Amino acid sequence: MRQGRLIATGVMLAFCLFALWQALLLSLTDRLGPGPGFFPFWLALIGAVLAVALLFTTFREPVDPADAEVRILPHGPGAKRWLAIVVLLAATAAAMEIVGFRLAMLVFNAALVIALGERRWWLIAVFAVLGSFGVHYIFTTWLDVLLPAGWIWS
Amino acid sequence: MILRRRTLLAASAATATTIASPAIAQNYPRRPVQLIVAFAAGGSTDVGARILAAAAEKDLGQTITVVNKGGAGGQIGFTEIARARPDGYTLGFLNLPAVNTIILDPERKAAFNVDSFIPIVNQVLDPGLIWVKGDSPYKSVADLIDAAKKEPGKIRACTTGILSDDHLAILMMQEAAKCEFRIVHFDSGTQQLAGVMGGHVDVAFDNVGSIVKRIESGEARGLAVTDVVRSKFLPNVPCTKELGYTTVISSSTRGVGAPKGTPADIVKVIETAFLKAINSADMKQKMDVAGLALKPMVGAEYAKYYADTQAQAKKYTEWALKMR
Amino acid sequence: MEAFHHLLAGFAAALTVKYLLFALAGCVLGTLIGVLPGLGPAAGTAILIPLTFSLDPTGAIIMLSAIYYGAMYGGTITSVLINVPGEAASVVTCIDGYQMALQGRAGSALAIAAIGSFVGGTLATVALVLVATPLATLALKFGPVEFFALMVAGLCLVVGLAGKNMLAALLMTVIGLLFAMIGLDPVRGAPRFTFGIEELYDGIGFVPVVMGLFGVAELLIAAEKRQARMIQADLKNWMPTKEERRASAGAIGRGTVIGFILGLIPGVGAIVPTFMAYVIEKRVSKTPERFGKGAIEGVASAETANNAYANAAMVPLLALGIPSSPTIAVLMGAFIINGLTPGPFLFQERPELVWTVIASFFVGNALLLILNLPLVGLWAKLLKIPFSYLCTGVLIFCVIGAYGLKQSLFDVWVMLGFGIIGYLLRKLDFPIAPAILALILGPMMERSLRTTLEMSGGSYAIFLDRPVALVLLTVPVIVLGALLLRPGTFSKLRETDTD
Repeated sequence: MRQGRLIATGVMLAFCLFALWQALLLSLTDRLGPGPGFFPFWLALIGAVLAVALLFTTFREPVDPADAEVRILPHGPGAKRWLAIVVLLAATAAAMEIVGFRLAMLVFNAALVIALGERRWWLIAVFAVLGSFGVHYIFTTWLDVLLPAGWIWS
Repeated sequence: MILRRRTLLAASAATATTIASPAIAQNYPRRPVQLIVAFAAGGSTDVGARILAAAAEKDLGQTITVVNKGGAGGQIGFTEIARARPDGYTLGFLNLPAVNTIILDPERKAAFNVDSFIPIVNQVLDPGLIWVKGDSPYKSVADLIDAAKKEPGKIRACTTGILSDDHLAILMMQEAAKCEFRIVHFDSGTQQLAGVMGGHVDVAFDNVGSIVKRIESGEARGLAVTDVVRSKFLPNVPCTKELGYTTVISSSTRGVGAPKGTPADIVKVIETAFLKAINSADMKQKMDVAGLALKPMVGAEYAKYYADTQAQAKKYTEWALKMR
Repeated sequence: MEAFHHLLAGFAAALTVKYLLFALAGCVLGTLIGVLPGLGPAAGTAILIPLTFSLDPTGAIIMLSAIYYGAMYGGTITSVLINVPGEAASVVTCIDGYQMALQGRAGSALAIAAIGSFVGGTLATVALVLVATPLATLALKFGPVEFFALMVAGLCLVVGLAGKNMLAALLMTVIGLLFAMIGLDPVRGAPRFTFGIEELYDGIGFVPVVMGLFGVAELLIAAEKRQARMIQADLKNWMPTKEERRASAGAIGRGTVIGFILGLIPGVGAIVPTFMAYVIEKRVSKTPERFGKGAIEGVASAETANNAYANAAMVPLLALGIPSSPTIAVLMGAFIINGLTPGPFLFQERPELVWTVIASFFVGNALLLILNLPLVGLWAKLLKIPFSYLCTGVLIFCVIGAYGLKQSLFDVWVMLGFGIIGYLLRKLDFPIAPAILALILGPMMERSLRTTLEMSGGSYAIFLDRPVALVLLTVPVIVLGALLLRPGTFSKLRETDTD
């Protein structure tokens, strides 16, 4: 936990320093008052100072034995489910442009419920179709939401 | 089953592509059309756009939704219009000369240029107006200029955005009268109103349309219309030409445009529907109430106006940039 | 008086079949979202935004507000039945609500929560009607200087309530503000932090970020855990007994006052009012030892304060344009998507919209009561949906919501990225709410500060000339500084994230 917090604060410090550098590339002020770089510059500077302060206080904090038990990254039997969600979402986002919302979602729905432990194939099939073709129909026809059609079909 | 699903998919996918084909124009518009306004709700561009949208809906046969994308003197909204899919479902209001000055300012790194838009039909020509709060000590342009000369850089004059027509008007006035204002940039007429009425700024360089009603009620006082003639909505407010400031001439025109690449036949459908709406008696009456002067232009005339504004704005923008 | 006329007209509009249906749909969907474990009102409201794309602005706002307080109530059901708060504001309800359920009094607990929510919500809306117009009129006198100060004060308050995590909350606020800088600079139009990526020109999408941080992150956390078991409760006899009703009356009254007053202050968040109402109720009780063992006053006070807060929090949003919690920030995002900028000018320019929406709050509260008293058993059945379907179903909505707003797959990636970030931050106990508020307030803060400095010709002395701004700016900053140097003062009010 403490180590995790230290790493996260370190990442935020790096982020602030990067923003500081980027802000310096913009003009801080011009004749008409504060420029585009003004606000980001001060924010990044304050953020960097805060991050250093947080690093310092976290470092000084006594190690709480209960905290050491807390695992930051997904672990145990749940890690597979966690990974399934992330990987399938990413794959769906990537596939949607090519095959379109309906087909990408059909596969996503079926794959995710199976990965999360569902085994009744008929329920999976009904859910996957309703959750892709059904949802697509409702959103595009009734609610005027545009969804990707997929370019391989055109 | 699989075969049927495929044809279904293919059919719907085909209609969603953006390549020009006569079949599209026949179907157009199949769903609601978005009309992007590059300024916040409540400003005069927005008011005119909403009246136009409501009127053109009937002829277009689909809902037209006005979407406000304010900020950066219109740049955020114009960028959105330029980047939209050229399928006729995203149109936008082009404010001249705001579009032009943004293109001309290198620091802005505009993601669009003159050719990014197809100007379709113009709606409004709104001359500039210099106005103050109703109980302001400045009763005329002369009072204002005197004050600005007495305390250079102290009188706060606000615009509706950097390099907007209002900003150019201030620069023109500074040059003509050899005085200096402290320029405060807001991003909408609404904020300008709040600023002047709340006493946070001293004078607004604005356009006639947004303020007519408040001048009639005495809440605000018009000092001058930046035009060669008086505005028909404000017959008692002098124009800059009669006051001797012949170089202080500024206005904002607003019309409907589409992103580059929108099929010509769809453009034609839009032009017809919007022009019909603009020329209707109902439109004239509503725009009179709003204090907006109609100036319908289409096709070659509007395209020429667009090109001319670009050339004219170039001069002023370079000048404004030099002053920076 | 004028407000009263506007309100009557608002009722006339809100009671048309169309808007009634939107409010009803919102209440049903909101309750649904609240009942689903792990999905709070912020994620729920964000996820359901696409449903309102085709509605007119008034209808969209009515429906989303109904979703908001529906979700605030829905969280109660899971608190009582499975001891899992559907949203942070229901944490307190768990204490006595679950105990009541174990004693077989789940029906009474849920019924008193519904009644308390209705009374608290309705009275808070009455007070909103009275307070909003004068406040908006006052706010019209505010210039950029005052607005900047007000936003700083609001953010300071959020940070100050983060307890022992204050330094982290402050850092999260600054990071949220930095993310808000992405896109075109709102004054000069110069691109910042865009790295030539076109999708970033309009800024990083608020809705995909919220969906990621609250929706996807919650699912990722839930996926890792074992699922909670629901207790078999008898929900047929839901009518509270006479003495239960008598015991709750005072608690409901006090809860309303506490919830409303705290709702007016930008930045308080929903959890503080519920805690405070509970603590006060225990203090005034003749039998404080019953609290934590199934005292109905505990449920009544927390739930009443919760809904009174939810409605009162609309006051700073509508009158000042400042959101006080992540969910309100999402609602504000919905206003902006519909081309409306909440704030004092909205009252002047679109009174019909504002008052119709306010009238719809009354309608929504009444609908919620009708929905919840007899239908509690039905909602409870939703808890039996297996996680696999629940999770997948919610993700379908997340993808549609993130994509549909701008037809951009880039936003789906943003959502996924912030989902993972949100998961890590939650695990590391970094507060997320301050970052969300900062993200939506960032552009406005920058604008007002820069306009302020344009007005003063670059001099910061302008803040000294404006007493209101000076007070708003210095008091919170000094208090925050004092708290930072002497931590532990507020540690009881530990910030929990989902509103």
